[in-house]
Amino acid sequence: MLVFDENIAEWVTSVEESMSKYTVEFKGTKEGVTIYCQESAGFEEILLDLAARLRQRAVFFGQSKVRIDVGGRQLTEAEQERLADVLAQNSKLVLAGVQTSATRPAEASLARRRGETAELKLENCKEGRSIVIKRTLRSGQSVHYPGNVIVLGDVNPGAEIVAEGDIFVYGTLRGIAHAGRSGDRSASVVALRLAPTQLRIASVISRAPDESSLPNQPEYAYISEDRIMIAAVNTK
Amino acid sequence: MGAVIVITSGKGGVGKTTTTANLGVGLAMLGEKVVLIDADIGLRNLDVVMGLENRIVYDLVDVVEGNCRPKQALIRDKRYDTLFLLPAAQTRDKNAVTPEQMKKLCAELKEEYDYILVDCPAGIEQGFRNAIAGAERALIVTTPEVSAVRDADRIIGLLEAADLGDPKLIINRLRPDMVKRGDMMDIEDILEILAIDLIGVIPDDEKIIISTNRGEPVVANDNGSLSGQAYRNIVRRVRGESVPFLQLYKNSSIFSRLKKIMGLSG
Ligand SMILES: Nc1ncnc2c1ncn2[C@@H]1O[C@H](COP(=O)(O)OP(=O)(O)OP(=O)(O)O)[C@@H](O)[C@H]1O
Ligand SMILES: [Mg+2]
Repeated sequence: MLVFDENIAEWVTSVEESMSKYTVEFKGTKEGVTIYCQESAGFEEILLDLAARLRQRAVFFGQSKVRIDVGGRQLTEAEQERLADVLAQNSKLVLAGVQTSATRPAEASLARRRGETAELKLENCKEGRSIVIKRTLRSGQSVHYPGNVIVLGDVNPGAEIVAEGDIFVYGTLRGIAHAGRSGDRSASVVALRLAPTQLRIASVISRAPDESSLPNQPEYAYISEDRIMIAAVNTK
Repeated sequence: MGAVIVITSGKGGVGKTTTTANLGVGLAMLGEKVVLIDADIGLRNLDVVMGLENRIVYDLVDVVEGNCRPKQALIRDKRYDTLFLLPAAQTRDKNAVTPEQMKKLCAELKEEYDYILVDCPAGIEQGFRNAIAGAERALIVTTPEVSAVRDADRIIGLLEAADLGDPKLIINRLRPDMVKRGDMMDIEDILEILAIDLIGVIPDDEKIIISTNRGEPVVANDNGSLSGQAYRNIVRRVRGESVPFLQLYKNSSIFSRLKKIMGLSG
């Protein structure tokens, strides 16, 4: 999936350079495609260009989700419908929404640097202080930290990590991990091998199943609907 | 200049005293001058295992309190004349000795002896702190049980904190039949958690109990027992030799892994 996104982004970069005579500009993101409309261009011109560009590249985009960024314009309902029509007639793209420069997500201005392969979504980024522990935590040892905790080693049974932020274990987590201890329900616990005695995120507690084998791939734990869920970290 | 080695475990009853006695006798059999210190004050039994109980006059507390010189308190072994025991006091408690006193005593003894083996009491309190105070090397004894391994892990952490790094692991009372059935932790499972070097694996063996009751450590018995052989191998590894591991059960992958860990492969 990510590979596909990167292709779009690369393609967009090359297009930006060579074909800037167009009044619409395509940008690939992880979430799909955003089409930017040139501020100075007239609406009819944009519709024409859009139709042409879509026909050229429809196969490439497939059924991605698309947002159309109309910049400072205030479109009437009729104009919005015409945009949607052009899209539907010339591609299989799914219109996810129309945005203006005012409603544009903050990341739109990010990642415009050359050579960037995919746009980073700011809302997926979390900033905060972290501590890196470059050794194995053994039984009876515990780390309490008002931020993220990163362990380069194992966390053995009987050891404990309590973090206000996220917990990352580059090793096997067998002890107790408590992420988001001050109530951050978006906190997660990641480990190369996740086999904790007990996991806590915010105020949700779960314990290891009584019979469980050690996974041999990285996993992460997060809260979903008041329960702690475990999922594989997709490294592809 | 000798080496001071503490034999410790965290959990009680896993074989510290048995190991101290066997390593002491084994080292003395190879001509080393050895002192065994029973640091388990109030619960002494190294003297019983060595069959020397009836010869005790002075003990560890007498030495640190200055009631006698260290040499006066040392009991020479019945069979090996380079082997000595410094017994624990039975009627005092662990607070009768301080870590500083132990440090001083060990420093003094290693001037004259090749190996000072300290039999550590169970637990992580004062007795443990005394026992490790003068040591520069540590052997950790565990049995293949989850609780014993957990305590060994705790001890390794405490030793690290005390700057007593690179301890070696002895796995005691392994039962190959149970491991094969999947009813006992495997060597590999234990090493995966503790992640320290293995220096020996001793099978569960009734000969140990018999020899302990007789006050004649199994290491000296030439009766073909696997446990005796296992202890003799550990003795040689303690002296710095590399000795292949005993094949306690057939599982080539485990033993090739062990050899890798010990750097003995190839
Ligand atoms: N490999 C073995 N096979 C069979 N019995 C054993 C083995 N090792 C130790 N034992 C027995 O287990 C018991 C406990 O051993 P030992 O006294 O050496 O443990 P310890 O760790 O010193 O105990 P404590 O913590 O009380 O000082 C003894 O009865 C001993 O004979
Ligand atoms: Mg003992």
